[in-house]
Amino acid sequence: MTHSSVTTATVALPHRSSRLTFGGVLKSEFIKLFTLRSTFWCCVIVVLLSVGVGLLLATVTAPARDGVPAAPNPTNLQQQAIAVRDATVGTGIGQLVLSVLGVLVISGEYSTGMIRSTFAAEPKRLPTLIAKAIILGVTTFVVGLVTVFGTAAIIFPLLPGIHVHPDWGDSKLLLSLFGAAGYLAVISLVAFSIGALIRSTAGGIAAAMGLILVAPTILDIIALTTGAVWAQNLVTFAPTTAGAKLYAYVSSTPSTTDGVISLDAHQGGYVLLAWFVVLFVAAAVLLKRRDA
Amino acid sequence: MIEAVGLTKRYGDKTAVDGIDFQVQPGRVTGFLGPNGAGKSTTMRMIVGLDRPTAGTVTLNGKRYADLKAPLHEVGVLLDAKAVHTGRSAYNHLRALAATHGISKKRVDEVIALTGLESVARKRVGGFSLGMGQRLGMASALLGDPAILILDEPVNGLDPEGVIWVRTLSRHLASEGRTVFLSSHLMSEMAQTADQIIVLGRGKVIADAPVGDIIALAAGNSVRVRTPDATRFANLLSSKDVTITKTDPDLLVVNGLKAAHIGEIAAGSKIVLHELTPLAGSLEDAYLALTEDDVEYHATSVADETVPMEPVQ
Repeated sequence: MTHSSVTTATVALPHRSSRLTFGGVLKSEFIKLFTLRSTFWCCVIVVLLSVGVGLLLATVTAPARDGVPAAPNPTNLQQQAIAVRDATVGTGIGQLVLSVLGVLVISGEYSTGMIRSTFAAEPKRLPTLIAKAIILGVTTFVVGLVTVFGTAAIIFPLLPGIHVHPDWGDSKLLLSLFGAAGYLAVISLVAFSIGALIRSTAGGIAAAMGLILVAPTILDIIALTTGAVWAQNLVTFAPTTAGAKLYAYVSSTPSTTDGVISLDAHQGGYVLLAWFVVLFVAAAVLLKRRDA
Repeated sequence: MIEAVGLTKRYGDKTAVDGIDFQVQPGRVTGFLGPNGAGKSTTMRMIVGLDRPTAGTVTLNGKRYADLKAPLHEVGVLLDAKAVHTGRSAYNHLRALAATHGISKKRVDEVIALTGLESVARKRVGGFSLGMGQRLGMASALLGDPAILILDEPVNGLDPEGVIWVRTLSRHLASEGRTVFLSSHLMSEMAQTADQIIVLGRGKVIADAPVGDIIALAAGNSVRVRTPDATRFANLLSSKDVTITKTDPDLLVVNGLKAAHIGEIAAGSKIVLHELTPLAGSLEDAYLALTEDDVEYHATSVADETVPMEPVQ
């Protein structure tokens, strides 16, 4: 830092030709996400956990779970259902890690003060929120695809050992695997919206875990112990339970019996999307109104 | 040009900025002074749209900050050296900011070189010292080669060489016709850097004048007079507009009369003078005098002594 260097401060005026664009904001958010170690580690952990849990399930446990009976000669439908279940079992843990990533994408900027630099460069704020959501959603969807298809590719060759012969040509199987990746993407976006609302990393992660993990579990216990219809229905409309319909091979049919509501894959997907949209809009409104 | 009209910020019952009006002109360095809690940082945050004013407006060349087409080219901001994600390297931080406006990597390298960050640019910002953080903040502010610079405490944490660099750079940028608006607690630094000073106290503008005028405010008309006939001379000089303090048996500090006039009176009355010295205040004195009643957080003074004024060099 010498005095002579001062003169170079303003030599380069041609930069003035450029200006703020949404494409630029997208690129900026892409750079931001991929220049943090936490992003890399979150993604690696999701893939490894999923493959690990999938392997464990495929090799160790008996296939008699989730209503799929153990049978020496399971039907084709049962075989495909087992294959999908084992390939997507990692989403249960993967969603927690990707939710943490979703919260961090925005809360990390508030906790470090980066948000002020961000909004000084892009003062309308909403484009930043949208760009962050797009980059996060695409990234977690790709990570979800790698996770689910990677797990499937690794464990499917092992399944014939338990009389399961997965059929890659089955479009319903493929749709379920894509559904799992889509589920992971939207869940991370739900967590992102919570992070944008709460703005603190600890608070954001706690709230996201509360919605994804704690609330459905408690409601489940209430529903199981008391048989309360309202508790069963709340569980059904929780983002995790509703979203899980996206990657269930055997899809349920929409029904209401004795006041207990059941959703099919499409409805489950819409309920999950609705969670995201409501939280995202709330975050967007507050983002415009609050001081950064 | 930065123009604030009736700019107000309230947090609940507390008024941080109380309907202030000011203009920051291009082509000169404008200093922004005020005690802690006076509202300087809040004002600067409102200028760049981070805080929403409760009332009033602030515009940059006639536009609200959020309406600028290319904020980084029009305004460079150093609000807080810590406005950086600690997990990212300095280079990647600047690259991410540059990307929003399509600013080239070449310019990123330029500002890194300009702020002397080459050796640490690839390291994570979390390990940076306060001084390096300030340099990165300056690099961010200069990234878009902006016409207006808003720098909150730019020399905070810098070494003497860095302080001189910021001063030289500020003066240079202003000489090119840019608007430079900087706050500092270092009055001596401000005296050397700024052309115009805006003093804020308890959310109000208590002075807005060229730096020379502000210093003159503190200087008043104090003159130090040493004479063996101090008591008689004091009686001779006294009138309702003149205050005389007798600090030693032979020493008077006279307020309200020019040195030349005092000399004439002494000659006319045949009084021997051993010393006749006009006293000038520093910017520090001016600032303290101005903000005396407007300090939000008073430190208990160690000793209640009057600091003697420095004679004119």
